[in-house]
Amino acid sequence: MLNEERVILMTKMEVYEENEGKRNVQIGNYFRGDYISLHILRSVISGTIAFGILFALYLFYDFEVFMENIYEIDLMDFVRRVLIAYGGMIVIYGLISYMVYSYRYSKAKKSLKKYYANLKKLNSLYNNEQQ
Amino acid sequence: MSALLEFKEKLKVIYGRYDTYIISILKFLLTFLALNVINGNLGYMKQLDNLAIVLIVSLLCSFLPNGCIIFFAALFSLLHMYELSMEVALVGLCLYLVMALLYFRFSPKDSIVVLLTPLLCAANIPYVMPVAMGLLGTPASAVSVGCGIVVYNYLSNVAANAQVISAMEAEEAVAKLKLVLDALIHNNGMIVMIAAFAVTIIVVYLIRRLSVAYAWTIAIITGCIVDLLVLLVGDLKFDTKLSLVGAVLGTILAAAVAKVIEFFRFCVDYNRAEKVQFEDDEYYYYVKAIPKMTVAAQSKTVKKINMQRKSVTINSSVMDEERLEDIMEDVLEEDMEPEEYSEGQPYAEDEMYPEDQEEYADGQEYAEEDNYTEETYTEDEPYAENERGRSRKGRK
Repeated sequence: MLNEERVILMTKMEVYEENEGKRNVQIGNYFRGDYISLHILRSVISGTIAFGILFALYLFYDFEVFMENIYEIDLMDFVRRVLIAYGGMIVIYGLISYMVYSYRYSKAKKSLKKYYANLKKLNSLYNNEQQ
Repeated sequence: MSALLEFKEKLKVIYGRYDTYIISILKFLLTFLALNVINGNLGYMKQLDNLAIVLIVSLLCSFLPNGCIIFFAALFSLLHMYELSMEVALVGLCLYLVMALLYFRFSPKDSIVVLLTPLLCAANIPYVMPVAMGLLGTPASAVSVGCGIVVYNYLSNVAANAQVISAMEAEEAVAKLKLVLDALIHNNGMIVMIAAFAVTIIVVYLIRRLSVAYAWTIAIITGCIVDLLVLLVGDLKFDTKLSLVGAVLGTILAAAVAKVIEFFRFCVDYNRAEKVQFEDDEYYYYVKAIPKMTVAAQSKTVKKINMQRKSVTINSSVMDEERLEDIMEDVLEEDMEPEEYSEGQPYAEDEMYPEDQEEYADGQEYAEEDNYTEETYTEDEPYAENERGRSRKGRK
């Protein structure tokens, strides 16, 4: 037989799962360290691609000057400067990612606590019904 | 004001019930508008500048996620640019990619701002954006709005230099690239606008979160003033050729739009009808959960009221008419001075309408009140009128 209280609880939980809960449940499957490091890794990859694009644009922008001076400039110094710029960008971007994702993780965990409490309540409702 | 509040409540009910259709229609309109603006300003690829294609894509976007609107708008602009010059399209693609990789992977919901900002810029009312985002978003929205301004400036530069670009030979690829990038990098007006909007968003956001009365209104006004100030200072410093009249009028419009946003701010997202499906061991459930529409208690303004009342228990079995008149006179003589009730002042319902408990039968409790001088009931008016009428009638 239908238990009204149980249906209401299940509906509320389903609405949560379909909206803000969807992402939170996914986040809840990870340990904190795993979640943050995974996203920092993704950020590093995105940052590397973005840096590559920007660097390519820079090279094309100054292509003629660069080609004219390619034998005159200190290539090692140029590469070092590029690497420093890349490193700086990745470190800053990684730090921002760390802050964003650690905030999101703690927020999701807080939100999930209530959801898990509802799950327990639902379980107890089932148990009561069976008895 | 009460009519507006009622309108808001009605709108909430309508939105809660038909939100699926309303959102689809809004998405359709936004896509249609965006694609038409792109076609109107860039329009180099004639195949795309076709109403049928625009309508089909708009219909498609009306039920696809928001990201698809951005995707199609970006695709249309890139294809138009490609028709003009591959290098220009390449730079455009690089811009979009960098934005997507660095920022919009964090907050995909904000990406709609990148579409709205250029649209408002094209309509010469970009000043609405920072105030609105300060009210509705977070300080991070400054990045979204900044990206939107960059996109608008890039596209408008391409449109402005289209003839020069198309006149260039195919071998002048680097020159084309340099032309469009120079126009973007050395655009002081754009940089000043990004700075002004970023400062405005942060100022509006910080003020509207303060726990002071009228925080939103103060935030709107301060934000508009700060926006104008930064734009003016930037204009003086970098000679950005800012149209003062346009900026002032745009800012006034921004304030008006912000007030509308303030009025409707809790209308959306809080009252959605939800359709959910789930199952347990015994049943499949297809539930449509419709939010309860609790009509907010509107403010009751009671300017003057005589609070004197006296409860007398009358036993009608021993009561005669003369006795009743004596009691009434006693009650009327003990009137106190009128008291002021300000708007929103809490009072108990039974104090207000003691007649609720009147019964004109044996052993009844009879409550007396007098001297209603001026009252304004906004919500319970018919009820109050009836009750008062009944009580006075009862006394006679």
